[in-house]
Amino acid sequence: MSYLSADKAESELAQSIKKATSIEETAPKQKHVRKCIVYTWDHRTSAVIWNILKIQPLLSDEVQTFKALITVHKIIKDGHPNVIKDALRETGWLEACARSVNGDGARGYGTLIRNYVDLLQHKLQYHREHSEFNGTFDYEEYISLKNIDDPNEGFETINDLMVLQDRIDHFQKVVFASFRMHTNNECRIASLVPLVEESYGIYKFITSMLRAMHKRTDAIDALEPLRQKFNAQHYNLLKFYYECSNLKYLTSLINVPKLPPDPPSLIDSNT
Amino acid sequence: MSGKGVVRSIKNYAKGFSDVQIRVREATSNDSWGPSGTLMNEIAQMTYNQHDFVEIMDMIDRRLNDKGKNWRHVFKALLLLDYCLHVGSDNVVLYAKENVYVVKTLKEFQHIDDTGRDVGANVRQKAKEISNLLLDDARLREERRQRQQMRDRMIGVTDYMNETMLGTRNEDGEQVYTRPGYLDDDKELRKALEESKRLADAE
Repeated sequence: MSYLSADKAESELAQSIKKATSIEETAPKQKHVRKCIVYTWDHRTSAVIWNILKIQPLLSDEVQTFKALITVHKIIKDGHPNVIKDALRETGWLEACARSVNGDGARGYGTLIRNYVDLLQHKLQYHREHSEFNGTFDYEEYISLKNIDDPNEGFETINDLMVLQDRIDHFQKVVFASFRMHTNNECRIASLVPLVEESYGIYKFITSMLRAMHKRTDAIDALEPLRQKFNAQHYNLLKFYYECSNLKYLTSLINVPKLPPDPPSLIDSNT
Repeated sequence: MSGKGVVRSIKNYAKGFSDVQIRVREATSNDSWGPSGTLMNEIAQMTYNQHDFVEIMDMIDRRLNDKGKNWRHVFKALLLLDYCLHVGSDNVVLYAKENVYVVKTLKEFQHIDDTGRDVGANVRQKAKEISNLLLDDARLREERRQRQQMRDRMIGVTDYMNETMLGTRNEDGEQVYTRPGYLDDDKELRKALEESKRLADAE
């Protein structure tokens, strides 16, 4: 619910975007990111956000570019569903971000930026093909039901989700590899926050959906490849969350999920 | 009245806030103690009036969107919202569901106060609880029903208690002292009781 005039809301939004993508090598402040997210729900659009991003001189500075990517990721993830539709038209801006920095850049954000753009492109591509998902991959019963009726479609959906999960895993490794000694790495760690949340959403989704499929189908053998992949991803996530839980700055921001040491059974869902 | 309280009453006057808005501002102030049960209950009862409801929700919305320095505004607005979700009108539930993103996005609220304490944790925890409640229709219905039952049961008790220990009223019939907690619903309960008597008589 918004009680501001449209103009005032827009100028405040511009302020928030400016501050979230400022030049300091810190995390984008959550309060500014939140303002953007709330704006998309109040106005059911993110068109203005993209316009503001494009007129800011962000791409001349690699830290600002990286902060813009974190901000955009969070807005796509937690904003109004229309943001995904808007973002699908803005891939040009993402590509411009990837081209904006040569090699590894003066402060070592080059590789990070290119990999982040790559991940966001894949995420958007997934949403393009599976429009029934929201940005956070909240598990919604109807989707699992919808897909079990057509085992092939369910199989595809889970398979695509797992590909996306692998992409996230790849990117988090790039982030960890980019840490530098003698700095607090806060800006780099900030990009792990949406990754943790998103990967956990996907994990829960896949778990529920695979269980539902096991219940409905007799072809347990046909699901074997998915089970194998599920188990492998479980261990990857376990390792990722374990490494995150050692980053004091990250644990002060979010609760890192705790997974059981071994993957849960998909056949009896007693949890 | 503390210094802050004076400033707040001047602000209330200067900005021309309505009585309803003033109460919500009172309940969600920066004072370091929580909103009183009496006050929260009064506000929750006001949500049954359509005009008051809009004002209450608008003010809660403003408080929820306040900045880190005013984390108490945010935290208390969440407390008040939680209370109204349990005992306020159904409109509160509808409104909160429709605007769930306002609460959801507070799950990552951050503020470290001057002494280095992470006071944002209070807000994050409460935001998580309320988001989960809003996503769980069955639980919300059940909790609202239980609160209603509790009130129904308390009617007889509070009435008796008022006569024996709580009912200190001044000559204008205003209550001077009320104990915080569920028992201070008695004003409301008295009304409800009179209403039911009236209905019984009418029959």
